[in-house]
Amino acid sequence: MKIPTLVYWRGYVGITVRNGHLESFINDLTQMGIPVWDVKPSASQSAEMKVLLSDFYALRPLLKRTGCRVHVNTRIGFPFQMTKLKKRRFFAIGMMAFFAILFLLSSLIWDVKVVGNVKIATDDVLVVAKKEGIYPFQWIFRLNHLDELSLQLNRKLPGTAWVGVDRKGTTITIQVVESSLPETKPLLSPRHLISRTDAVVTSIYAEQGLPLVAKNSRVKKGQILISGLLGDTENSQSVVAKGEVKGLVWREYNIEVPTVQKHKVYTGEIKNKSYLVLGNLGVQLWGYGKVPYAKYDVVTEQDPLTWRSTKLPMGWMTEHVMETEERSEVITIEEAKKLGIEGAIRDIIAKYGIDSTIISRKILHEKKENGKVYMKVLFEVEEKIAEELPIAYNQGD
Amino acid sequence: MTRISRKLRNWTYEKLDLPQDIVFNLPRLTLIGNKELLIENHNGVIHFSPEKLILSLSQGSLEIEGAELMIRSILPREVMIEGTVRNIKYIETEESH
Repeated sequence: MKIPTLVYWRGYVGITVRNGHLESFINDLTQMGIPVWDVKPSASQSAEMKVLLSDFYALRPLLKRTGCRVHVNTRIGFPFQMTKLKKRRFFAIGMMAFFAILFLLSSLIWDVKVVGNVKIATDDVLVVAKKEGIYPFQWIFRLNHLDELSLQLNRKLPGTAWVGVDRKGTTITIQVVESSLPETKPLLSPRHLISRTDAVVTSIYAEQGLPLVAKNSRVKKGQILISGLLGDTENSQSVVAKGEVKGLVWREYNIEVPTVQKHKVYTGEIKNKSYLVLGNLGVQLWGYGKVPYAKYDVVTEQDPLTWRSTKLPMGWMTEHVMETEERSEVITIEEAKKLGIEGAIRDIIAKYGIDSTIISRKILHEKKENGKVYMKVLFEVEEKIAEELPIAYNQGD
Repeated sequence: MTRISRKLRNWTYEKLDLPQDIVFNLPRLTLIGNKELLIENHNGVIHFSPEKLILSLSQGSLEIEGAELMIRSILPREVMIEGTVRNIKYIETEESH
């Protein structure tokens, strides 16, 4: 006692039957096993009913026998939709094309990302990935299995401990884990360590090689401190001498410091010029007129428009024209001396290494003349005095 | 129905205690409120209008009165009627054998 299944997909018609023997028509239908449903009689010997589309043409002999006339009211179902679509062919084609294009575009790789690489360049990874078939606009179905891809990439990329290939939608992410290699030591040729300057050795530590000087011994410039030649004359081996030798060195400085110090200061007067920047062109909008200052500095402030992290070729530029003034300051002799010595110490540290220490200093001579303080200062500095000297092989023998 | 077969049927009904609608082909009516009526073992439609529906039975006929009657679906032996059922009348006729 049910309506036939899947009537929408099979298609059915609503018909009106009239002018005949309606009851025997219905009886005949049931006898022939034609499913009919929703039989609604109307007052005057006619009825509306629904039959399957496939049964519609089988009605004709019955209609003839019972003397009924039939009129189709409604056509419902998928087969009728199809005929409608056939009439609107280009609409249907467009719809199909839309889904086809959507499917095709979503089965392309659009983006390949490389993450986790520090030493290996992203481009190198991409080149290897391209050989394995991972590149933008590649078909996803042409890719090998991801496990296999990661194995191949790991094999072909030297210096990787593991490579993972992951696909999310149309994006491929290559996760690189670099293997930690031991630091490669620079290759050194056999050498001596010699003294860079005349000094008194305060400490010597030979990591490799034969120390030739002891603590508190005087050394000359060029003297071998740690020898790279081991053994006697018959059985000798040359090594890379390594170590740290510190020594006391005297350094004499002639210092002159003016007692009148000149400074450039900003007066606080400021004039702004504003520009609208379009590419390389700047259009001044505000701040016309001559600069009313005798001396001034110009500080330019660029403020380009940005979209996310991309700078756009247009924006704003402001020039701050700041008035400056030179002020001279008279300092005392003590201050001048202090300034001079500080400058000399900075010079020593810059020239002879940051671990140089000033052991003592002695002002040998000082005089004030023409608004300047002249000084001669002797610094006693403890610094590294070792210098490398390669061992040249005697190839004449 | 021949005389012998009727006797046989009567006998099976008495001995085996089977329902009569199976044995004698009698109609079985299922009425749900006054909205839906399922009739099994009918013999076809005699009259059909929105107010009145007469079904032929193996013995006699069944007259259903109501309003806005419609056949929801129909099979050779079954019919499902929807609408407002007011009156169900069983019209007996003498069997003509």
